[in-house]
Amino acid sequence: MNKFIAIVGSNSKKSTNRELLKYMKKHFQATAEIELLEIKDLSLYKKSADEYVPQEALDMAKKIEASDGVIIATPEYDHSIPAVLSSALAWLSYGIHPFVDKPVMITGASYGSLGSSRAQSQLRQILDSPELKARIMPSSEFLLGHSLQAFDDDGNLKDEKVVKQLDGLFQDFVQFVNISKQLNNANEVNKQKAEEFSWEKD
Amino acid sequence: MKLVGIAGSIADQSYNRTLLKFIAKHAEGVAEIEVLGINDVPMFNQDNDQTNSAVIQNLSKKIQAADGVIIATPEHNHTVPSALKNVIEWLSYKIHPFDGKPVMIVGASYHTQGSSRAQLHLRQILEAPGVNAIVLPGNEFLLGDVKEAFDDNGDLKDKGTIDFLDTTLQKFIKFAKVINMIDATDDYENEDLTSSNKIDTTVEGVDMSDDDWLDKAAKKTNAVEGDTYVKLDCGLLTVNQLNYMLKTTPLELTYVDENNQFIYYNNFLPTEKMLAKRTPAQVGDSLAMVHPGKERVIKHVKQVIHELRTGKTDLVSMPVPGNSGDHHVMHYYKAMHDEEGNYKGVNEWAVDLKPIVDEYLKETGQKLVPDPDNQLDATAGASKKPDSKPETKPEVDATSSASKH
Repeated sequence: MNKFIAIVGSNSKKSTNRELLKYMKKHFQATAEIELLEIKDLSLYKKSADEYVPQEALDMAKKIEASDGVIIATPEYDHSIPAVLSSALAWLSYGIHPFVDKPVMITGASYGSLGSSRAQSQLRQILDSPELKARIMPSSEFLLGHSLQAFDDDGNLKDEKVVKQLDGLFQDFVQFVNISKQLNNANEVNKQKAEEFSWEKD
Repeated sequence: MKLVGIAGSIADQSYNRTLLKFIAKHAEGVAEIEVLGINDVPMFNQDNDQTNSAVIQNLSKKIQAADGVIIATPEHNHTVPSALKNVIEWLSYKIHPFDGKPVMIVGASYHTQGSSRAQLHLRQILEAPGVNAIVLPGNEFLLGDVKEAFDDNGDLKDKGTIDFLDTTLQKFIKFAKVINMIDATDDYENEDLTSSNKIDTTVEGVDMSDDDWLDKAAKKTNAVEGDTYVKLDCGLLTVNQLNYMLKTTPLELTYVDENNQFIYYNNFLPTEKMLAKRTPAQVGDSLAMVHPGKERVIKHVKQVIHELRTGKTDLVSMPVPGNSGDHHVMHYYKAMHDEEGNYKGVNEWAVDLKPIVDEYLKETGQKLVPDPDNQLDATAGASKKPDSKPETKPEVDATSSASKH
């Protein structure tokens, strides 16, 4: 069974993105083991002369390394991903490279009708950068709009159509992860390149 | 033109900060640029609102008071640094200092890209409705190969790059002027003189127009009187002592709160003897009630308060028209702020300068003679500032004082 890490892209106590990931964990438990990862305790990313990386980030990196794939649920703040998620991804690419060639599925929820669409498209670009170099599942979008009304009291998605779409996407992601495992010829070189990428001053 | 520069980096060393500092130095004489730091801004979190912290209030005030903002962004993972995004999140949550503000984006990076992708993301972020900045279109300043770009003094080495920067900066200054002109008109219009927004200190349940507002509001709030002590910032006085002091301060003082409600004046003279003719029954009135149906006055009051509220200026002063050789009455309006820098209303005082000037001349054995070079109107010139903007400067007008009714 595949083991996935699900990153909650919010530091808010009440987050429908967390709810979405909790739902996925429960709903797909027969197919995959999903562990939720919180980023709210990570400090704001800062470069230092000694390239210090907080222990929480090192622990997260280990978990991501050991996983078969990562699911990220992102809110949208100002047409973009929250600073707290951006900061976590910066830590997770500062001298450590757990995302290189790692299959990633992007999801997101928002109160309005757009379902964090613009944040998700920026997140794709971010994950594609040389220091992260994740393998983002192509041609797939899961945008959960009106997320405050989307769940019932048990935390299950209410709309059958939405559930069906998520089921399909998740099955595809599992396939994508399996295929991805065979696409590892350049992995060594990719890791090397990410490590060589210079952060220094900005 | 007053601009602020924000370097989007909290790294100890930052080429983008160097770039901004160079721009600030290089633009001297054309624009005054203050470079702001973002190092101490806490992580944005909806569960821990720190909008009122000094660091965020300070950034907000500086941005609001500026004619434009220059942001220099590094690029992290193809996007803006989280530290910069973090600042924008705070400044688009409960407060919106970027609203309608002209912004120019610049950036530097090690390689050839010059933060091109981060700059595009930043444009999208600044366009979001909660931020609503107005970004200079069509111009990009991307400084690639930044390690080689500066000399030991922190100056850009390449003349072509400097020329290009000059052109971009000049375009931005023109752009900012135009945008601020468009914005100026509706901005102050939003000033609500009917005091309909409830603030922390608004006394609810008493009709503002009630002539006995003071007595009723005092009862409602269990306000202390007489011999009760009040601990002040630097002293302990009874309410009576406070009154004695305020009434012997040789100025007519008025407090208008941040909701534009007239809540106090130091009533030490009969109304007819006052420079600004207030009456006890007016206390508690909204500013709209104090100035009923006088559109021109209302407009000027809104402009004055808006300038003070947004930090464009801390003090507006104006002479009262009709000043003659016998008296020279001035009205001053000063913005008040709490410890965290939040706007807390207007402290207005009125004073006749003539006796003060006479006293000064007598003491120093001098006399006044006309200045042959004076180009200003002899009576209206005292408070005119040469660099004031005519479109927002309140005109001198017999009825333009916030306290006149």
